[in-house]
Amino acid sequence: MENIITMNQIHKSYKVGSDTLDVLKYISLDVESGEYLAVLGPSGSGKSTLMNIIGCMDSFQDGEYFLTGQPVHQMNDAQLTHLRNQQIGFIFQKYHLIQKYDVLQNTMLPLLIRGETRKKAEALSMEKLEMLEMDKRIHHKPNELSGGQQQRVAIARALVGKPKLLLADEPTGALDSATGKEVLKLFSQLNEMGNTIVMITHDLHVASHAKRVINIVDGELFEDEAAQ
Amino acid sequence: MRFSEILHLVWINIMENKTKVMLTSLGIIVGAATIVLVIAIGHGGEVDVQEQFKTLNVGAINVTVSTEADMADAMAGMMPPGDMGGGTAGGGFGGNGSTNRRSGSTGGSGGMPGGQMGGGGMTRQKGVTLTTTDVDDILSYVPDLSSASIVISGTGAVLTDNLDEETDETVVGCLPEYQDISNLELLQGDFITQDDQDGKSKVAVIGNSLAKTLFGSAYAAYGDVLTIEGKTYTVVGVLSEMGTVSSGVSPDDSIYIPYSTAQKFVLGSTATPSITAIASDVNEVSDAMTNITAVLTENYPSGRFTLTDAGSEMEAATTSANTLSMLLIAVAIIVFIVGGIGIMNVLFVSVRERTQEIGILKALGCSKREILLEFLVEANFMSTFGGVLGVIAGFALVPAVRMAGMTVEPLAVSGVLALAFAVVTGTAFGFYPAYKAAQLTPIEALQQE
Repeated sequence: MENIITMNQIHKSYKVGSDTLDVLKYISLDVESGEYLAVLGPSGSGKSTLMNIIGCMDSFQDGEYFLTGQPVHQMNDAQLTHLRNQQIGFIFQKYHLIQKYDVLQNTMLPLLIRGETRKKAEALSMEKLEMLEMDKRIHHKPNELSGGQQQRVAIARALVGKPKLLLADEPTGALDSATGKEVLKLFSQLNEMGNTIVMITHDLHVASHAKRVINIVDGELFEDEAAQ
Repeated sequence: MRFSEILHLVWINIMENKTKVMLTSLGIIVGAATIVLVIAIGHGGEVDVQEQFKTLNVGAINVTVSTEADMADAMAGMMPPGDMGGGTAGGGFGGNGSTNRRSGSTGGSGGMPGGQMGGGGMTRQKGVTLTTTDVDDILSYVPDLSSASIVISGTGAVLTDNLDEETDETVVGCLPEYQDISNLELLQGDFITQDDQDGKSKVAVIGNSLAKTLFGSAYAAYGDVLTIEGKTYTVVGVLSEMGTVSSGVSPDDSIYIPYSTAQKFVLGSTATPSITAIASDVNEVSDAMTNITAVLTENYPSGRFTLTDAGSEMEAATTSANTLSMLLIAVAIIVFIVGGIGIMNVLFVSVRERTQEIGILKALGCSKREILLEFLVEANFMSTFGGVLGVIAGFALVPAVRMAGMTVEPLAVSGVLALAFAVVTGTAFGFYPAYKAAQLTPIEALQQE
């Protein structure tokens, strides 16, 4: 299987006053195409930093990171921006939909940013919204939708560009348990369809829906053999 | 992202914040309207100057006998304060008729006898009166002149059949040459002739507006009669409409009669004559003025004369109008800068409000350049919108300014200039907030609540 993520000895630290805080301590991680991985860790463990690095939104001091074979550690800001648009679909805890755009406009954004025509972007977005049963609400603004519906729109937006990696940060964190279950079921279905998913969570129950679980504690990764 | 999609995003933002956009554009609207009005007022001032001087020949030189105040000013300017004091205390300044401008410090000792200086000093100055002989002398001895006329003007009680009672009007006594000197155009009849002057004829040429006032119409005036100070005059000519003038008499509201007649019957005891001469070459005006002074000083050794030339007056008036324009433009630029700062402030607030949106767009793959472009286009839209409204408002306000009594001449180019200023100012001031937005990292932007 092709490796989607290859991380070798990634080190990330912050300066806090005169001290140095090591957030990620020379971690290595491989994620193959089609995997459904959960990174499980408590608050302050470094999981958000790891997600930001995987999502090409943050830099690191040491190590190598290849995303779909491309050397992220050698890329400049413009290249990282392009890579995010082409290869990664983001699903955030707080959905991060733009409030003044309707469902369809929000869903189309990755394609419009990519330079696709509005017509093509609309057609592809409608396809994903139908799949997620949001096609009847395309002209609704986010504040007119429930949390679960907003997360479905966010998932549609993440899928519309056919990314190699779906990166989800606490995707059920803002949802009630029933809606959370639905979203997790949806993730399983998406994974069945061949999507590679990396999910960051602090919730063991949520993580248990993934096929593979990695624990992150004090900036170090531990494979959870039991989960596999 | 395609530019059309950036425009689409900007359009959505603007539609979502119509009131804010309108209020933000207000500074630019005021600035653009100010530019249009300022240029219209400035141009109006220039037109005013041209209009006022259109009856004046650029080479015209006006000669008057200096008043006592003129002389006192001249003396104060020439003498050190201490010398001036000495002269006055000693009575030499005028009491003994001993004006001594070459040696003011000797005034304290009584000065020179009046007779030596031409008899009279200040008293003699009062007695200096220009005559037609002076005009002949000037024309004979000053080579740089093409023509000259003596002029006397004042008010006279005028009555016509159309009026119930006498009315005071401006009466000008002049020579036939005055027509060319002052570029007076006749609607009907002829100007004063040499025969009229020689014969002290009671004939009059009247200004266009005054003809309407006195006779009902300019055409009715021609050939009719009027009385000035009880004497009857025949109207031998009516002037075309000449418009306003910078100073002196207004041709439209004056009555021109032969100088000799005016001197004898109307103004002889009440007004002081002056001479208006025309230099044959505009470049010779300065020499001509020096020579005129020399001739008149020869005629009146103790006399002092004030010479002014129309060219200098026009230049001064034009400079004054230009200074006013520059001042108003400076005000307009300040208004624009204030408007630009307004746009900058609102965009900063907008960037702050939309930080999360910027973060989302960047996370999804929007480049720095695209974010910068989006905010710049937004600033550009607000300034263009403000500029267009401002230009429209500026032109719309022109009649109101006219009603306030100012001469305003709007120019199409002022609209283009105001719009260009608006767009450049708004976009320039919008750049910094747009740059700050573009520099935000997706992580810090997404973390913003």
